Amino acid sequence: MGMEPRIVQDWRRWNVAVTGVNAHVESPGPGCAVARCLRECADFKGTVIGLGYDVLDAGLYARDYCHGGYLVPYPSAGKEVLLERILQIHEIERLDAIIPCLDAEIQNFIAIKGELARLGIRMLLPNRMQFLLRAKDHLGAFCQSVDVLAPESRTITNPAFFETCEAEGWEYPFVVKGIFYDAGIAHTAAEARLIFNRLVNTWGYPVLVQKLIRGDEFNLSAIGDGKGGLHGAVMMRKRGLTEKGKAWAGVTVVDKDILEMASKLVKGLSWCGPLEVEVMKGHDGKIYLIEINPRFPAWIYLSHAAGRNLPVALIRTLAGETDLQLPEARSGTFFIRYAQEIIVELPQFESMMIDGGIPSVETLLNAS
Amino acid sequence: MIEKMDTLLQRICVDGRLAKLAVSETGFIFDPQTGQSFTLNQTGLLALDLLKRGNSLEMTAQYMSDEYEVTMDVASSSLEAFLYQLGRYL
Repeated sequence: MGMEPRIVQDWRRWNVAVTGVNAHVESPGPGCAVARCLRECADFKGTVIGLGYDVLDAGLYARDYCHGGYLVPYPSAGKEVLLERILQIHEIERLDAIIPCLDAEIQNFIAIKGELARLGIRMLLPNRMQFLLRAKDHLGAFCQSVDVLAPESRTITNPAFFETCEAEGWEYPFVVKGIFYDAGIAHTAAEARLIFNRLVNTWGYPVLVQKLIRGDEFNLSAIGDGKGGLHGAVMMRKRGLTEKGKAWAGVTVVDKDILEMASKLVKGLSWCGPLEVEVMKGHDGKIYLIEINPRFPAWIYLSHAAGRNLPVALIRTLAGETDLQLPEARSGTFFIRYAQEIIVELPQFESMMIDGGIPSVETLLNAS
Repeated sequence: MIEKMDTLLQRICVDGRLAKLAVSETGFIFDPQTGQSFTLNQTGLLALDLLKRGNSLEMTAQYMSDEYEVTMDVASSSLEAFLYQLGRYL
């Protein structure tokens, strides 16, 4: 812990670590897209370090996106173990900033933010209260307080609910959601139980049920300044969905009603950091909030393509820039996600398995 | 008929939506608010262009009646059908 803080003022030369670099075809983490946004910014000359939870997380080896990669402990290991591991990586890579990209790890990063700041490692994160207020199990109450529509939701721990729910006004189909990730549409009690069991086994209790809104799905990503301001909104309409309901194709749009809703939410939370607002435009013409995710989404590369590179805006904010002067996001920019293989040679895989990481070339050059 | 069509047109034109549509000469249309895209044939393209330029329904129907050498009734009812179709996409 005797490390001197590294303070580099110019964000263009920063070493930035990015988490969530898994790239599962069905539901990729946002990390590779965030790293790609940084790497493709012409002004950025720093390094990007991928932090993964599994030796098969693609971003650990994807040199087009990440200069180096390291394994970090699963969020369930707790904040102390995470801090210890980040400090080890910091000793090698001299990090200037971290962009956490997965919901399940954010609370641990919030808890160690102070210690990391003392070493000169910056993060733009909400506080614990802001984080909890937007959690799925508190979202309904929060929405009511800021006059935003949200589909009726309920927290359940007992699957017996699925047999009696219709008598309580919960007609099938409805959505069954995990506390952090994953969801399924249940058409029958049997189907609901299957989804419930899958979610509990993966994410634990509780599980949420949410009334199904039929309509079109839109997402917005932006950065909250912690004082109620929302900056750099980029909006996207999902044009193609995976079986899990994730977008594999989408297009940028500009919708003032969605922006207005997101601004209300960010103001109500005084949100600090990146976020994704998921909404449904119902066939009744109304906009319903589905979720607020406390991080950039997996489709964030679209922000760079549309002219409003939000990960770069985030590190500029961390560097103290207050007037970002972001250009308007262009509407009509499409993305179509595809899977591609990265070739990993045995020595690289061995390094990841045995040493828990592969340093960036820049670090190796400096060391020699 | 024109009165009913006026209501339709007003709905489509809310917040300048018609004016904001990105229109290509190939007939490819993109709505920047909804992300919806669709295609129009040359007749639809002409009608949309006239309406986007601020022509009234009557003027648009008259222009199309002259252009395609059909009666005003045929032009008006075709325009009505077109507006219904367009409304489904906006």
